[in-house]
Amino acid sequence: MSLLDILTKDVIAVPLKVQNKNEAIRELIDLLYSNGQITDKDEVYDAIMTREDKGSTGLEKGIAVPHAKTAAATKLTAAIGISPEGIEFGSLDGSPSKLIFLVLAPPASSGAHIALLSEIARLSQYQSLCEELVEAESAEKVLSILQGEE
Amino acid sequence: MSDIIRSILVYIDGTEQSVVAAHYAVCLAKTLNTELSALFVVNTQALGTLVKSRIFLQDEEAEYRRDLNADAERYLKHVQTIGQAKGVDIKLLNKSGSVSGEIKKCVKENDIDLLIIGELSRIKSRRDQFYDETERAMRSVSCSVLMVKDDERVWSMYDNLL
Repeated sequence: MSLLDILTKDVIAVPLKVQNKNEAIRELIDLLYSNGQITDKDEVYDAIMTREDKGSTGLEKGIAVPHAKTAAATKLTAAIGISPEGIEFGSLDGSPSKLIFLVLAPPASSGAHIALLSEIARLSQYQSLCEELVEAESAEKVLSILQGEE
Repeated sequence: MSDIIRSILVYIDGTEQSVVAAHYAVCLAKTLNTELSALFVVNTQALGTLVKSRIFLQDEEAEYRRDLNADAERYLKHVQTIGQAKGVDIKLLNKSGSVSGEIKKCVKENDIDLLIIGELSRIKSRRDQFYDETERAMRSVSCSVLMVKDDERVWSMYDNLL
């Protein structure tokens, strides 16, 4: 199952309305909740923050991948948030995160969860693609870029 | 035993498509009276990549590895049950490493002459086609490959198998 199998324009925030890490995570969780992808916002937030407390998922080059296994996710799901200005995420290289992939999976979906995170890890290697995503002006454009049609 | 196909390998990855493929493989093995093996690969290569890219911490890697090992046992046991219900013995192969690499190795080591895989998901982006491990295996194995489609027909075929 690929990122494009689970993403819809309704779970892509372009741009994120907020300016800090915790609020950005909350905003993406709200999107997933509004779209029926999760059953409990607080449970998901706690799961994500428990993981973040062990070490930030802010990677290099402005990408962050907050993720968690939680029973509040009814199936493997993801949301994307874009912040052209960047959000302080405690990343490895100190750069603010502009592209945030939030990934959630039910406890029994480890295989699919790993496959999806691996896909995001590969995507993050394409700098020009990531730059295009950060410059996208709409959720539809984000999907189109991911489909490779741009 | 069939002279054309003597040894079949079905690849199981925990997806619905691979379970359908297992049912088809049991039907084919029973009909042709051939040996049947089922392989599950714990994708430790992907786990390693996630640690390297810093998406996973070491303790997460260990936790997910345990989950995947449990999945491997569960799905292989399920496949064994599918075979037993129709009187087909299945050799269970539980490996870890790179999916395509382990499939290729198992085909060679077990002298497999037909690999059966589940239906591949539709390619939704140009990048997808470069990264599907099962597709990579399909392209690189030395034996013939059969991709199972039409799950309704397979369920019916399996149910009607004596």
